[in-house]
Amino acid sequence: MSLDKIANKIVETDVLVVGGGIAGLPCAHKLAERGLNVVMAEKAKSDRSGSAGQGIDHYSGFMPEGMTPTQFKEIWDKMGPGAFFGGADFSPPTRLYRTMLGRKWASDELEKMGVPMKWDDGEYRVIDIKYHGGWKSLRVHWMNVKPIMAKACRKIGVNMMERTMITDLLTDGKRVVGATALNTRTGEFIVIKAKATVMATGAFARLYNPETAQPWKYKFRYHWCPASVSGDSWAMAYRAGAELGNMEQAERGYRFRDDLALSYGNVRGDGLESRRLCWDGTETRRAGSVELARQGMDPFYYSLEHLPEDYHKRIEVAYVDERLLSFKVAEERGFNPKTHRYEMMEHRPNQLNCPPGIVTDDNWKTNLEGLYAIGDTVAGNHNVAACAVTALLVGEHLPNVIGSIPDPKVDEAQVEAQKEVDMLPLKVKDGTEPMELECAIRYAVERYVGSFRSQGKLQEGLRRLSSLRKRFLDELQASNPHFQMRAIEIRNILDLTRLHMKACLERKETRGQFVRLDYPEKDPQYDNLVMNMCLKDGEDIIEWKKLPELDMNYKEERK
Amino acid sequence: MANYGHTSEAHYEDKFEFPLWKIIQEYAKKHDCSYVDASEAVLSDYVKTIKYDDEEFENKCVEIRHKELEAVSKEDEAKFGPRLKP
Repeated sequence: MSLDKIANKIVETDVLVVGGGIAGLPCAHKLAERGLNVVMAEKAKSDRSGSAGQGIDHYSGFMPEGMTPTQFKEIWDKMGPGAFFGGADFSPPTRLYRTMLGRKWASDELEKMGVPMKWDDGEYRVIDIKYHGGWKSLRVHWMNVKPIMAKACRKIGVNMMERTMITDLLTDGKRVVGATALNTRTGEFIVIKAKATVMATGAFARLYNPETAQPWKYKFRYHWCPASVSGDSWAMAYRAGAELGNMEQAERGYRFRDDLALSYGNVRGDGLESRRLCWDGTETRRAGSVELARQGMDPFYYSLEHLPEDYHKRIEVAYVDERLLSFKVAEERGFNPKTHRYEMMEHRPNQLNCPPGIVTDDNWKTNLEGLYAIGDTVAGNHNVAACAVTALLVGEHLPNVIGSIPDPKVDEAQVEAQKEVDMLPLKVKDGTEPMELECAIRYAVERYVGSFRSQGKLQEGLRRLSSLRKRFLDELQASNPHFQMRAIEIRNILDLTRLHMKACLERKETRGQFVRLDYPEKDPQYDNLVMNMCLKDGEDIIEWKKLPELDMNYKEERK
Repeated sequence: MANYGHTSEAHYEDKFEFPLWKIIQEYAKKHDCSYVDASEAVLSDYVKTIKYDDEEFENKCVEIRHKELEAVSKEDEAKFGPRLKP
């Protein structure tokens, strides 16, 4: 059957950017600025979607320009990977160096898009994060960062396909030639042919249970990043044949109970660190740690009671910059940060972010021709500034190579098969609600993966997951395109959860936040190795790879 | 100092208003606009009431806090033993 009979709409473009967040939007903008035809597909509406929808109060790891590879290595040797934010020890060092080097440049580029980088006095407001290895962050007023970026993209002529969920990638051998998509309002089935595709949907947070106020009904948390991402890019890239890395590494981060939130800037106290307390009021720098929890010192609390009045006002400004809703939530709970304390959630895995992601080379290109990944979607090294830098570097790089990429050749049979998958939930009667299956998956993750892993539990978890897939996936029902989107997300969540469990089974040691009860010691055979996973002939193949050395002669060329 | 009071019922009886949130809400009501638009309108004036450009004040606050944290780190070691190595 011809493509125009299968699809409601066919779009042809030079580059497809999947995801309208703070990586996808600057990338799309830069590509359009350089003269390419660009489609940006966002499954919600880019103005207020995703982790940055309500704003951000910081631009992290702001470094002066001109840092040499030697200086970079000196910082690494002195302070360790923690000097460069989470996941740095899982990142190829030259690529990491490029993301650190590019922060000031990316900041200038964002300013050209209309994004405010400076403070009210017209200068950069630098927070000196003493305990974070000495690198600094910028405080920024980014409450409207998403609308500003979206507007800039529209103005420069990016084809903004809002409410358009990319459902899977289309391939021609080892080349990605575009994607299928679903309009989550009209239900249109769309084919997008693209010479190059850039994945930018962020990380993966929908596998462990968030500690929300009503966990029996509310699975989407709103505070801190990544808010409620379903790992769409990772799953699609994996199914197409790309490599995912570090899928066993789950982040245990600062989260608070009762839907209370502190923005990043608040947690760092706008430069003044918060107090962290055990249940009995003892202050400790180890609050939230597994070791203290095992000594019975939890629950743990965050306190801002010690802050001078001036800093309480700074917290308010940070609320406006990053999460206006926080005022309402706190007031409705009668919460007074001057006298009350934020209870921290249990120190347990809550998302896959930072180390895990799509594996790329030093130009953010995957092992598939025509497929790139940026921002939190990439394995190793994430944060706000890295989103901007990676986005803009790919935006600069792709126009130089697009001429050598052949026109995309789409296989109608592949499209037809994908359409059948995407449309199936609409045909199901008396089936399963997507959230019902998601709850079952999350329960399996909590019960059989959890904080402390072991072989028996992980094997049982994989068996459970396989049963859930066989029994319920094809019975997911959707009454409208919005729930079709939810059903497609479950497909992605299932794939990624399987990989997480298999990766946990593969790493037979305890290292950092990764704990195996049956292998409680660190095993030096895993030093400097990262775990990559790839789908080959329907099998999940695991390969350990050594991280490359830093290129000491690397020089960044800027146009 | 025990922490018992902070999870008690009184927690929900106190009425606390964030000063900036009050300003935002009042502006939004007066100008019939969204909280987002109101925030944009009032934020810069509120920022002027904060000592962002008082380096001496900031450095003093950071220095005090830094010394407190150093003391806490030492107490941590004494109370809970050496930090577990990753």
